[in-house]
Amino acid sequence: MREYVLAGAALLAVGMLSPGAHAQVKATPGKAENMVLLPKFLGILPFDQAHRGAEEAAAELKNPAKLQYLGPTPENSVAGQIEIVTNATTQGVNAIMISNNSGDQIVPAAKKAQAAGIKVVTWDSPIPSAEGEDVFVAQVDFTQTGRVMADMALKIMGPEGGKFAILSASPDAANQNAWIAAMQEALKDPKYAKLQQVGIVYGNDQSELSYNQALALVDKYPGIKLIMAPTSVGIVAAAKAMQDEGLCNKVKVSGLGVPKEMLAYTKNGCAPEFALWSFVDLGYLTYYTAYMLATGEIKAEPGQSFTAGRLGNYTITKDPTRKAGLRVLMGPFSIYDASNVEAAAK
Amino acid sequence: MIAAAFARLRGWEGLLLALLVVIVVVNMAHSPYYLGVGNIINLFQLEIEKIIVALMMTLIIINGEIDLSVASVMGMSACVMAWSFRAGVPLPWAMLAAMASGVAAGLINGFWIAYVGLPSLAVTLAGLIGYRGVARILVQDRAIGDYPGWFNALGQQGLVGPLTLSIIIFLAMFAVLGLVLHGAALGRLVYVIGNNLQAARYSGVRVRRVKMTLFVASAVVAALAGLLYAARLGSVRGDMAQGFELDIITIVLLGGVSIFGGSGNLLGVGLSILVILNLRNGMGLADITGNTQTSVIGALLILSVLAPNIAQAIHIRWKGRET
Repeated sequence: MREYVLAGAALLAVGMLSPGAHAQVKATPGKAENMVLLPKFLGILPFDQAHRGAEEAAAELKNPAKLQYLGPTPENSVAGQIEIVTNATTQGVNAIMISNNSGDQIVPAAKKAQAAGIKVVTWDSPIPSAEGEDVFVAQVDFTQTGRVMADMALKIMGPEGGKFAILSASPDAANQNAWIAAMQEALKDPKYAKLQQVGIVYGNDQSELSYNQALALVDKYPGIKLIMAPTSVGIVAAAKAMQDEGLCNKVKVSGLGVPKEMLAYTKNGCAPEFALWSFVDLGYLTYYTAYMLATGEIKAEPGQSFTAGRLGNYTITKDPTRKAGLRVLMGPFSIYDASNVEAAAK
Repeated sequence: MIAAAFARLRGWEGLLLALLVVIVVVNMAHSPYYLGVGNIINLFQLEIEKIIVALMMTLIIINGEIDLSVASVMGMSACVMAWSFRAGVPLPWAMLAAMASGVAAGLINGFWIAYVGLPSLAVTLAGLIGYRGVARILVQDRAIGDYPGWFNALGQQGLVGPLTLSIIIFLAMFAVLGLVLHGAALGRLVYVIGNNLQAARYSGVRVRRVKMTLFVASAVVAALAGLLYAARLGSVRGDMAQGFELDIITIVLLGGVSIFGGSGNLLGVGLSILVILNLRNGMGLADITGNTQTSVIGALLILSVLAPNIAQAIHIRWKGRET
């Protein structure tokens, strides 16, 4: 984990050297800013975790205005998000934090919010065109995801290396494909020379199919030492498959997973190490970003640097993943193993 | 008997009106923003496409039919417009193509229902799937946006004062359909057919023509609503308006229109629209969203939709016992 922190610090150093950089701004606590946290929809764990993180930040910043956690139902996500943004605009809140599920259809509502002086911060999922959006708080970036997976593979398989296979979501899952490509790019580094990727299968993010595909991998490539699953469904299914077949001593599982779901497999050694960004931290950082934009302590401009409480320093940059728009890159990944998975699963 | 039915409907509308007054008073007491002009406009704008389609749906249901394909036609129309526009067709022509797709959908629905005699439930259910399929094939998962400014402005800005084009269309349709349904010969036929299809046939009513007219009109209105929706959001996706048909139908039923046809009126539906919109808006301003909001509105609808139908069922059974 240390090297990612270092990498993050290096990124920040670069940010500080760039022209127009400001000193790290610290938030002034106690200002009353009405803020709305709007997830894609209510009722799933990651968004609740983000809410928890935002509440934590709100308490630290002693914002006297209560954080509103408002969201639509999954069936009504698009119209519901638009409605909530519109009503928040009517109420004259100071900042809206959106995990956008409406593509560019949220743009007119978001623009009206901005026109009313409201700061619009997206998190988890941005507004594609970046119109109507001040800043996007991104969880991790693709390059980093690739390096994290390559490092976990190296650590699990050891210096002697070996063969490993990938269990992904669906063949056209944009995130997974980008992460796998980033890992393959990272593997070109000589330090991973002994790691050999032998195949990719797809479990379509369905537990049963992923389970069977994991077993099929072991049959097809008898010598593999690791299954890398960059999907929270696939990683659990693969770990269960290896456990059920008593293969955990020969074939390990790693990838991106949710601590709560991975706890047993990490404890029994089937999946000794896996990674995920923390949604709690994402909510926390999003709240800090939106609060400081609302108070005017930072502006939505590249080069603006600020301190987000316990997470440390961040800088607003142009978003390299979109044609337009600004982003704050959270990083680093949280790497989970037997030593910390229990605490994270709570 | 007509007088009795009339009294029942009057009673229902009275109930809706009372409910509306309660909701308005609570909203006024609760939020200082509620009566702002901007909020009142938003209150309509956020659901405007649904309530436009609901007006036409009222005639369909009074006629004893149902049109489940409206939301899919909305989506198809928006997608035809978006797809043609992206292919280089000037926007006005793309919009015309979208309206034409609505006419086509209406003719298909109407043909099977009015001339072949299949139940509208089955035909428009097929339409719900089929027209949505067209929408998804045309636009897929990618959103199509970047329309000219005038198009977005039509959907998002006031045309006459704060009144948007959509709201003006809604008000105009309410007036025109009110006149048609309650003043014109066609309106009388809609009720006659809805009340007793066989009797209407035997007495020489041109049932087919009436039904065909209604289904084409329904699809055309839905296609128009799809374009208004596209303009309001400034971007089109294949899943646009998905699931709206159920909201639209419940608005009509809450308005006191019998699902069995033959009874109900536009005034009741107008009140039902106001009840739902003000309730939603009030809850939104009180920061009640998600499942809580859905449950409250759902509970109201269950209660209100069941009440008149149970009453009618009892009434029919009672009548059966008398004869």
